[in-house]
Amino acid sequence: MRTAAGRVMTGPANFSVAAPAGVSFFSQAASFDAVWPAISRHLDELVDQNSFSHGAKVRALEAAIAGWTGARFAVGVNSGTDALVLLLRAAGLRAGDEVVVAAYGAVASASAVLMAGGRPVFADVDPAGYSLEPAAAAAAVTDRTRVLLPAHAAHQLADLAGLTDLSVRRGLTLLEDSASALGMRWAGRHAGLQGRGGVLSFFPTKTLGAIGDAGMVITDDERIAELVGALRDHGRAPGGTGPSLMSGVNSKMDELQAAVLLAKLDRLDRDISVRARLAAAYDVRLRPLPGVLLPTVQPRPVPTTTVVSAYVVAVERRDALVAHLARRGIGTEVSCPRPLHLQPCFAALGGRPGQFPVAEAAAASTLSLPLHADLRPEQVELVCDAISEFFAGRP
Amino acid sequence: MTAAVPFAPARLFDTDREALRRLVHEVGTDPAQRFVLGPRTAELERALIERTGAADVVACGSGTGALLLALHALGIDAGDEVIVPAFAFPSVASTVLELGATPVFADVDPRLMVLDPVDTQARITTRTRAVMPAHLFSGMADMRPFRQLGRKHGIAVVEDAAVAQGATFAGVPAGRWGDLGVYSFFPAKPFGGIGEGGVVLTDDPERGRRVRLLRDHGQDGSRVSELLGHSSRFDEVVAAFQLHRLPTLTARLARRAAIADRYAERFAPLAGRGVLAPPVGRDGRCLYVYPVLAERRDALRDHLAARGVGTRIYNPVPLPRLPAFAECVPAGDGWPVSERLGRQNLALPLWPGMTDEDVDRVTDAVCEFAEQE
Repeated sequence: MRTAAGRVMTGPANFSVAAPAGVSFFSQAASFDAVWPAISRHLDELVDQNSFSHGAKVRALEAAIAGWTGARFAVGVNSGTDALVLLLRAAGLRAGDEVVVAAYGAVASASAVLMAGGRPVFADVDPAGYSLEPAAAAAAVTDRTRVLLPAHAAHQLADLAGLTDLSVRRGLTLLEDSASALGMRWAGRHAGLQGRGGVLSFFPTKTLGAIGDAGMVITDDERIAELVGALRDHGRAPGGTGPSLMSGVNSKMDELQAAVLLAKLDRLDRDISVRARLAAAYDVRLRPLPGVLLPTVQPRPVPTTTVVSAYVVAVERRDALVAHLARRGIGTEVSCPRPLHLQPCFAALGGRPGQFPVAEAAAASTLSLPLHADLRPEQVELVCDAISEFFAGRP
Repeated sequence: MTAAVPFAPARLFDTDREALRRLVHEVGTDPAQRFVLGPRTAELERALIERTGAADVVACGSGTGALLLALHALGIDAGDEVIVPAFAFPSVASTVLELGATPVFADVDPRLMVLDPVDTQARITTRTRAVMPAHLFSGMADMRPFRQLGRKHGIAVVEDAAVAQGATFAGVPAGRWGDLGVYSFFPAKPFGGIGEGGVVLTDDPERGRRVRLLRDHGQDGSRVSELLGHSSRFDEVVAAFQLHRLPTLTARLARRAAIADRYAERFAPLAGRGVLAPPVGRDGRCLYVYPVLAERRDALRDHLAARGVGTRIYNPVPLPRLPAFAECVPAGDGWPVSERLGRQNLALPLWPGMTDEDVDRVTDAVCEFAEQE
């Protein structure tokens, strides 16, 4: 059996392909090794406790995340996407309700609305942070709009002052797609808790990442927490053996993933600082390059805490740069290659080119550079060397 | 009091500790740093394709997730009806509702406890788009009548083989009988794993391709979504553990079969004495759970508990009577067989690690109860 690179794989045990010299987009191997003793102990406990999803470790993680974020309730589920769907349902979304979402971001932001029975209505984003722009959102509100669902950008929260104001003025529910916003705070309150609830994703590449799919709903609303808690386990009340009180899904978090997250949680503050230092190093090297638009922190009317969950730059010849970096073994990620109103899966919603110029321009020009807690400063230098070469016209 | 023979083993994976540690460490430190839908998942899919003969096997988040993807791949949508068994796990109905369609509950066979093709046929309407028989406990449903209904009425067949991995009927593996089939790797299942997981099986490569997109936001890694999809993916650590366990699956199923044979032998004389064991000698035996039917079910349960034998009651309330599904149930409808099975079923311990002494303890206790009848 040959891999795409032409290596012959010699049997089921050998899945590793040696990384090319260069900088891969993401790794957590060093962090994993650092917390391996704790993970190993958790694995023994897993076998002894004999429950492998939705058990004691998930409950421990929920308590830990609630404590860390300040949320009253944290409910563990199988992914950030599922968290959004269940949050929308629990918040009372009804068939035909409209939800305003940004036209730039992950498909899940909008598909979750459809999965929850609602209808996403797109609005443009701000050109600096690529998050839902309050005036654009206001223009998208109709008498069927029920929810505002801003997603938070890679390094800074959306303009929650403007969005909260809009939700109050128009009687809308504010929910947050805070999947990537762990650690970000608005006037001291954690992302996801400004309105009726938010979500977290623990996908491996996130600020706190598992080694598989995992997510969470965070909220101060007891009813939302109760409903999500039941919906994720076939609609059953806590305890998991009773009858289905409502028609639910299976979105239980694996105990193994909860264990990995518990083990890594001790390093979260440190990891956030490391990310900030690495981002600052990128800033220093990339700022002199006129062709690169760096992540910028917008002024806000209140104190906020930023976290670099991804380092997103914008360049005119984005695809050429991605290819250039790939040739040097440097991984990148284009997290939004197409604005959401132009994604084929949303064609029935009637999106047209030109409707959301900022989102369209961002989708054509943005890419994420390697940025994670195990990245070393010399690797940042390698990436920046390669980018400088690109702009100097050197092949 | 801890049961001397618990319904389920106290530690499913006691002998896999070292392997679990090794595999998790490998995945965590692998230079490729792939964690979801990576090469191990692909290898597991290939192994199951080889084992079952399916055209495609698509790994996804759970047995429930697999049912959802199967229905979605068939285009089940608002206004459609799907006929499902009333005596079953809630997923057969909740997945239909998830897509905005309507579950129509049909009664089950009194002896085999699986969807009754006669009651199914009676409930077909112009809106029926699919039928979803579920294998249960210790015997596969005979899928042939459902395939006939499917052909005759232009209805798709989704085979809920969540518990039936390893079973065959007429030489064809469970999961291959419908337009799409599913297995669950929930830890308690015959091929249970270290976390949630499942697969969709199909003999139609185009359907398989569709399911692959639907499990991951309707896209194949490009982040351009052709279809509106879900997040129902598969973790590499779960795949690695399944691959580790696959070589011993046949032996574990054989041990379950041997225990079931011993039960059948000891319980055959009890049929007239208030304890009815599943029929023997029937094709399509599956080895998930060993249910007996008893008129004095609760007394039997208590009798066994007093003798240190754990048991479990399944589906005590038919699905249409649950609060979750009340709103999709026509007034005046009834499922008398499902009601009765809910009152009478009692599952006995059936797991590969049981010793012959454990088995005898169970059979002695059941026979003792029957003798008192």
